[in-house]
Amino acid sequence: MIEIQNLHHTFLIGKRGKEKPIPVLKGVTLSVEKGEIVSIVGKSGSGKSTLLHVLAGFMSPDSGSVRVAGKETANMNETDHAAFRLDHFGFIFQNFQLMPGLTAFENIELPLKLKGIPSAKRYLKVTELLKKVGLIDFADHYPNELSGGQQQRVSIARALVTDPPVILADEPTGSLDSETEQDILLLIQSLNQSLGLTFVIITHDEEVANIAHRKYRLHDGELVTGGVGHAV
Amino acid sequence: MPFKDQVDYIRQHMKKNRMRVFMTVLAATMGCAFLIVLASVGFGLHKTIKEEMLSGQIITKIEMWGKEEGPITADDVKDLKKIKDVKAVVTRTYVDGIPTFQLGDREGSGQLLLTDADQEAKAGLELAEGTMPDKPNEVVVGYHFAKSLLTKEELAKLESGEQPEGYTGDVIGKTIQVDLKPYEPADAPSKSWEFVVTGIIKEPAKDWMSDNRMLISDSWKTEISSFLYPADEQQTDYSEVSVFANDIEKVKPISDHLKADGYQVYSITEEMETMNLFFTVLKAGLLFVGTIAVLIASIGIFNTMTMAVTERTREIGIMKAIGAKPKLIQKLFLMESAWIGVLGTVLAIAISYGLSSLVNWLIPEIVMGILAEDGMEDFNVTISLIPWQLVLIASAISIGVAMISGWRPARKATKIDVIRALRQEL
Repeated sequence: MIEIQNLHHTFLIGKRGKEKPIPVLKGVTLSVEKGEIVSIVGKSGSGKSTLLHVLAGFMSPDSGSVRVAGKETANMNETDHAAFRLDHFGFIFQNFQLMPGLTAFENIELPLKLKGIPSAKRYLKVTELLKKVGLIDFADHYPNELSGGQQQRVSIARALVTDPPVILADEPTGSLDSETEQDILLLIQSLNQSLGLTFVIITHDEEVANIAHRKYRLHDGELVTGGVGHAV
Repeated sequence: MPFKDQVDYIRQHMKKNRMRVFMTVLAATMGCAFLIVLASVGFGLHKTIKEEMLSGQIITKIEMWGKEEGPITADDVKDLKKIKDVKAVVTRTYVDGIPTFQLGDREGSGQLLLTDADQEAKAGLELAEGTMPDKPNEVVVGYHFAKSLLTKEELAKLESGEQPEGYTGDVIGKTIQVDLKPYEPADAPSKSWEFVVTGIIKEPAKDWMSDNRMLISDSWKTEISSFLYPADEQQTDYSEVSVFANDIEKVKPISDHLKADGYQVYSITEEMETMNLFFTVLKAGLLFVGTIAVLIASIGIFNTMTMAVTERTREIGIMKAIGAKPKLIQKLFLMESAWIGVLGTVLAIAISYGLSSLVNWLIPEIVMGILAEDGMEDFNVTISLIPWQLVLIASAISIGVAMISGWRPARKATKIDVIRALRQEL
């Protein structure tokens, strides 16, 4: 499903003209199979978020190749990347990234609107997902009226609403207490099993990383195998 | 994203910042209303002056002043009638003597002129009553002709400063005796003719004008001329020659044709052209000044949209992250600024029509109030006029400027970096 080959990226930090190159990704190569949960752990600044951003197309790498569902995405332009993301990726962010002015229902509905799906179909799909994440009674609540766990469930529902083959999760439980964290991890596992979704989880938390089929560790910009997770 | 959802998105955000949007719309409204009202003064004055120029004038008329080689002859008139799009050629000759009109015991004076009734009718001479003459001894008379026929008692009244009634009966069908006397010598004998009145010419457009004319057939020209002048000084040329075009559009080509043939001509269109040019420049100038007001208002729109983009950076980041194309983001912001422009323009148009009506009613009232003592009875002018063209121009300027001022913020929104935007705190 995902093929990353020899990915390099260097940030230039400092004043203009006196920038210092900081290499973040040094030849990262990774392969993710369909229906697999892969976790990438690493300390802060290890480059794990950069890897996710390159994979998602939020930034272009200096060199290397990224193939998702057979399509090379590393050098796509912004518009093509946006369209590609809408069709192939769902996102779960650490701080949920919900639109504050939209209700839970409307937040989940947003990607469908971007895809131009008619409102009747949208209604059915969003209602089904609200039921699946256990928030059907909270459809009209705004994000600030929901708990952290509920917000993350809305975020997960939004990630699933377009039926993307891959879900990219960046510290999905980073803002949650341990009890809620367990709920969310169970939800991710059950979605993986029931829908056969591919998950790439970026985390610094070993416990979260352990839900994966395969674990990787990013250290000084290089990816090393971190073992097998509990999912296996 | 379907258009309806885009509109919903914009409406939602505008609702959230109701006060700021209201103030921006207000600025746009004021700018656009200023533009419309200012330019409407140019349109209003143009209309007033045009109407003033055209009142009592026949706009298809080309006055012939003569020819380079001399006066216009009967042969020239024949040629003039042959020119393409010429409807009629009216030739009038004012009888150079002192005519006296008599009806029973009543007597009056006025102007006697020789003309061709057919050409007069074709040229559009309108009658208040009766028909155009058919036979040589039939005539039409001016609207005030009958009133100028006075008895001796009425004449005495007039001399003492009173206004006599004149002849109030129906003059149509009546036979008028015309006594004509040459100017010189003082004791010269007069000659009489009798004419039957068949029609009365329409009242002149201007209230102060009095029409006491009698129009007789120009077949009498030779007889009258030989009575008034010695054989070697016969009056052969016309006092007035006018060419009438089929249509206002044809006036200019006919005028050009006549000028090329050596005629000296004048038509109202020549004066209108200069006046139209003046008012076009004036209106363009007023539109320019008004546009400055719209531009000032656009700073408000620019500010509002820049604020909106800054405030919504994180939201834009989320939208881009989940798959919104940059073009869509740009479109949403452009639509928002255009919507502010449209709303401002619609309100401005409504306000401008209100202000325009107020000005057209109030200013004449004030002027009348001030000038009533000077004997001014009527001050009927259009000060402000808003034609649909002005509405169209002002709308295009206002909405265009609103969109241009929203352009940069919209571009800025598309350039927002997703990673940075998502890192922004709530």
